[in-house]
Amino acid sequence: MNDSLLMLTVLAAIGLGTPLIFATVGEILTERSGILNLGVQGMMLIGAVAGFWATFTTGNLFLGVVLAVIAGAALSSIHAFLSISLRVSQIVSGLALAIFGTGLASFLGRAGGNPLVGNPSRAVFEPVFTGSITEIPLIGPLLFGQDILVYLSWAVAAGASYYLFHTRMGLSLRAVGEDPASAESAGVNVSRIRYAHVLAGGALAGLGGAYFSLALTPTWQDDPIGAAGWIAIALVILSSWRPGRAVFAAYLFGAAERVQFTLQTLGEPWSDIPSTLLAMLPFVLAIIAMIVLTSGKRARYLGAPEALAIPYFREQR
Amino acid sequence: MSQRRFIVEPRGLVSWKVRLGVPVASVLAAFVVAGIFLFLTGVNPIEVYAEMLDAAFGTPRGISETLISSTPLILTGVAAAIAFKMLVWNIGGEGQFILGAIVASGVAIWLGDGLPSFVMIVIVIVAGGLGGAMWAAIAAIPRVYLGTNEIITTLMLNFIALALMNFLIFGSSSPWRDPEASMFPQGRPIPENARIPEFFFRLTGGIFIAIALAVFAWYLIGKTRWGFAVRIVGDSSETARYAGIGVARKILTVFLLSGAYAGFAGGLFVAGPVGALDPRSLDLGLGFTGIIVAALAGLHLLAIIPVAILMGALNNAGPSLQAIGVPTATVTMLQGAILIFAVAGEFFINNRIRRPDIEPDQKSEVVPVLEEVEPS
Repeated sequence: MNDSLLMLTVLAAIGLGTPLIFATVGEILTERSGILNLGVQGMMLIGAVAGFWATFTTGNLFLGVVLAVIAGAALSSIHAFLSISLRVSQIVSGLALAIFGTGLASFLGRAGGNPLVGNPSRAVFEPVFTGSITEIPLIGPLLFGQDILVYLSWAVAAGASYYLFHTRMGLSLRAVGEDPASAESAGVNVSRIRYAHVLAGGALAGLGGAYFSLALTPTWQDDPIGAAGWIAIALVILSSWRPGRAVFAAYLFGAAERVQFTLQTLGEPWSDIPSTLLAMLPFVLAIIAMIVLTSGKRARYLGAPEALAIPYFREQR
Repeated sequence: MSQRRFIVEPRGLVSWKVRLGVPVASVLAAFVVAGIFLFLTGVNPIEVYAEMLDAAFGTPRGISETLISSTPLILTGVAAAIAFKMLVWNIGGEGQFILGAIVASGVAIWLGDGLPSFVMIVIVIVAGGLGGAMWAAIAAIPRVYLGTNEIITTLMLNFIALALMNFLIFGSSSPWRDPEASMFPQGRPIPENARIPEFFFRLTGGIFIAIALAVFAWYLIGKTRWGFAVRIVGDSSETARYAGIGVARKILTVFLLSGAYAGFAGGLFVAGPVGALDPRSLDLGLGFTGIIVAALAGLHLLAIIPVAILMGALNNAGPSLQAIGVPTATVTMLQGAILIFAVAGEFFINNRIRRPDIEPDQKSEVVPVLEEVEPS
């Protein structure tokens, strides 16, 4: 494999991995509070359409990102209410979010007299740095050739990691996810923490969705994010609920999604592998990783929150 | 306690009025929410709903198409419900449905024209069930013997199944691909004698097979010794263990049975209206819609039948909306909203809300509920 091909693959992995970082770190924060939100796909799609619409209407990327974040958080608030206040099954509630978000995003993209679908975005995220700094071999394109959201994704992962493991709030969060009853006895407001982190997860998923519609494929289409939201759920486990590892897991999956183009460039016999088979790769990887990494008691050691997906009944402690 | 404006407490027995009223209210609420979005985008929701009703039930042909759409949903609904009852979170109905279709069409093509039609149809449907069960086993065996969380594995298997179907039709010259369709790849038609006869426009006898299979599942879970043991495991695996029930085996069997039902749906769809392994007709999210059906039916295996017809009607009405300039995705939005309200309804079925100053039957009504994670 020559250098430029390797470089292209790495760059593509960063591009495709960036929305996954946002969504995965968001879901890690949510799951660390003990709430499983399977609605990532829906929240990302809502973020994607909201961000695209705002930028399409105003020409302003910043407003697009803000609206995407708000839209993702707004959709996640439904899950927060259902799973924290009503304490219903988090699994079905999350799926409901995924289906509703998918439908609503597609609906909003096609509805009205002048629909978004097929339109290119009026503004697109471009690399922050220009000029000779990006021409430094290797580090130039990798470190200085990225757009602002790539840097933001690194900051989000680093910030979330610091927050989780080095702050008092992060300790409370982990306590709520492990043993809500004890956390409550220690004076922590379980509901409030859970609400906050479900919303944070939704906001980050929305941001990840907007990265698709404003940077990766900036033309509105019905299905702009593929299966990214579902992959993010698997990445949470692969990164064993740690934001730092989520960056690497996301880039690995970004590379796996890119692999069919890479193989085509390599020529025969690699280019003969059908793309439909390669499309399975990320998912096969996720299943193997699930079985190897999290079976039995290993999940606990990895960091799976003990109280994940278990509703908390304060009155029945 | 005294500062609260209302008190939430578990209901003891749930009356049938509540069981019926809450899902009906959920559906109505979803229509209101979707109606608001329709209204905001400049269309009259009443007109849209009238159009949907007309497309789904307005003509004999519409009714026939609605029942065609409902047939697989009855079975994917049962698949989800029997798993969820046991707290087995099989959300891989989608993939099991596809594998059912792959195995069923494969067996039909392999057997060819030789057998009598009746035998052939039975074989094809059973093959579908086996395909679904096999696909479920990939998640079920690690779940039961290694403790691997089945939510993620079943979810990921959906995408692998979809890629596998695309590979068989678009990515290879497999036996499933029609060798005569050279312009655009499509599935090879299964032999005529494997097709279930049509009797009402395009509607086949498959609808009766689906209903019979749903009734069989209801009987199996609700009325047999085995089903009783299964329900105990679903309520509390601790209790079941004390009672000497082999919990691991029960979970494995139910998981595979759930996969088989999704697979039956795939087999029945291939032997019914589709007639080939056709990705465009099979990749419709029928497995996920089955989860909506199961949830709205309150996991009741007979209630699934009417609920599946409702969801089938929505699916069938979708394409007609394009003619009046409304996105087909309205249906997905509606179904998602229905599921959201159905999940919320679960709370109102299991709990009641009263004001603290009105305290009816203070002592007799206290129902001790310990660790009730998931009401059955």
